[in-house]
Amino acid sequence: MFFAGIDIGSTITKVVVRNEKEIISTLIRPTGAEHRRMAHEAVLETLQKVNLGFEEVDYIIATGYGRINVPFADAQISEITCHMRGVNWIFPGVKTIIDVGGQDCKGIKVENGKMKNFIMNDKCAAGTGRFLEIIADTLGLALEDIGEISLRSKKPAEISKTCTIFAEQEILLRLSEGCAIEDILAGLHKALANRIYTMVGKIKIEKEVVLTGGGAKNQGLRKWLEEKIGYPVLVAEEPLLTGALGAAVLAQEKAGKMSDQDLAEMKKNRKLEAVTFFKEDSTSNPGA
Amino acid sequence: MNELKGLARAAQIYLDPQQRARELKAEGKKIAGYLCCYPPVEIMTALGYVPIRILGDMNEPITEADAYLPTVMCAFYRSILDVAMKGRYDFLDAFIGAHACDGAERVSYIWRSYLKSPCSFYLDVPHSNHAAAIDFFKVQLNYLKDELEKTSGCNFSQEALREAVKLYNKQRSLVRSLYKLNRQDPPLVSGSEMLQVMVSIMCIPAEEGNSLLEEVIEEVSNRSAGPGQKKGRILIWGSLIDNIAMTKLIEDCGLNIVIDDTAIGTRSFWVDVDETSDPFEGLAVRYLDKIVCPRTFRDTKGTRSEDLDNRFKYLKIMAKEWNVNGVYFNIIRNCDIHGYEIPEVRDYFEDIGIPVLVIEQDYSTTALEPLRTRFQAFAENIG
Repeated sequence: MFFAGIDIGSTITKVVVRNEKEIISTLIRPTGAEHRRMAHEAVLETLQKVNLGFEEVDYIIATGYGRINVPFADAQISEITCHMRGVNWIFPGVKTIIDVGGQDCKGIKVENGKMKNFIMNDKCAAGTGRFLEIIADTLGLALEDIGEISLRSKKPAEISKTCTIFAEQEILLRLSEGCAIEDILAGLHKALANRIYTMVGKIKIEKEVVLTGGGAKNQGLRKWLEEKIGYPVLVAEEPLLTGALGAAVLAQEKAGKMSDQDLAEMKKNRKLEAVTFFKEDSTSNPGA
Repeated sequence: MNELKGLARAAQIYLDPQQRARELKAEGKKIAGYLCCYPPVEIMTALGYVPIRILGDMNEPITEADAYLPTVMCAFYRSILDVAMKGRYDFLDAFIGAHACDGAERVSYIWRSYLKSPCSFYLDVPHSNHAAAIDFFKVQLNYLKDELEKTSGCNFSQEALREAVKLYNKQRSLVRSLYKLNRQDPPLVSGSEMLQVMVSIMCIPAEEGNSLLEEVIEEVSNRSAGPGQKKGRILIWGSLIDNIAMTKLIEDCGLNIVIDDTAIGTRSFWVDVDETSDPFEGLAVRYLDKIVCPRTFRDTKGTRSEDLDNRFKYLKIMAKEWNVNGVYFNIIRNCDIHGYEIPEVRDYFEDIGIPVLVIEQDYSTTALEPLRTRFQAFAENIG
């Protein structure tokens, strides 16, 4: 049997396909503005990598903020539950998950494989991947590089942790003062780590701590978070995939609770297509 | 239009809560608008006024009020002043403000300066329930009576006040009966339906409200298809919800709202007024002491757990009798009084093994969507 999890995040879409034992195929690609029209393509591409047909997949779960736009998913589950399950599958000893995504940041407490509590940032980009994107942009650097560069600093600049826009203004001020780029970046990563630490601290950070999402790929953020927490955090081989993995794990669990007949019936009615809210001609070609 | 009955009538009133009051005004009745749970509706009714609860509007962007109020203030009271500045309550004959919280206090004073309701009264509600505070509050209630009497055109009588107390005690008893129908699983009334009924009865005369409640109770007791069973049964604690966009979002995420402790809900109805020989005595005690809102300070008792039990035992009883497996704290952004109480109430519930979801929301229908993930995750967790 095969199970798929599709995690449509604000920035990146992730797909995981599993059999009963292991991950057999994955996909990571930008979400873009038109994710409503591409969820089916993403799933198909993931399946093609291992020569699987869509009809061979037994259960599909959609998660992430775009989860409501996956018409062929058999269930939608919030990304909080999916992340928790995915991380717990890789690291059974996890107690605290810190997920730094494109537009939100979450802390999840896990106890015996169950979610005990969670916390999310509200309506502010500070503490999220967007903060790093904007900073990289302001400095004219690639997002992938800024974490590494920050590690070279011996004297991190003081940057406030309150607001992305204010932080951006502070960068310009520090630049005009002649502060080195690596020191500015170190200050920014430290500020971001402090902000995340404060938020997740509300639900008590306990060992083992696993860092996921795009933020987990940033060495600078990881370093300052570890310094703040006081011990190393764990990061999966591919930290972007934990939500989609959790969705695929849950898909297996859900399928296991259904009879073969019900499962076959459900699959028969599933159509691999994109969501359309509007008449295509009225949105794709506004000039017509 | 008014051949609608029960829930359908409540849904109709909810769509334009002030419509009935405007109709009555056109018939020559006097309308008194009041803030919060604290001004006694009995006094307004005894003097011939139709009391209506002043509401904000989550659908209306705040564009006027921020010139008069700081944005660090509760979004609900900013919204109330905003819709009032835009004329929604211009038809009121009397405005009764109250020092329920600092937000209500500010709005009361600004209302008096700029909105010029023919009668404008500010009810000074003490922040403790000591004997001296209750005496003080009793005097304030007499001032309210005197002020309303000047503009009402009718003379005050103790007898009319006693009748009003009976009338509203009946309403309270009907509200409790309606909520009791949600003890069963699945509940008979959805949170959105309940909210429509609560908003309605606060905005129409008590007799009409009582008939409406009787109709609704009969209707839902006999219904075959109610809200249905969802993943979790929750209690909502907090200041208030006055828009079904919020309750619908919660219910869509797989949660049955079965009971609440909020101001547009049980908090305004849960306890009766004692029929004391001096009706002002019963009113003062009921409104100041027996309404449990964090805006009133209560003496700290013994150890912390004894103190929490003294203050929140009623919540434990509600949670048990309505068999809830989760609690949602509805905090309107910048509501200090509820915000400060979060750690206490959360600890109390978690100690009895009931998980809590805390959300500070912006009192705006356009800001609801980001909350969906939280409600859904909470439902998945407790379900």
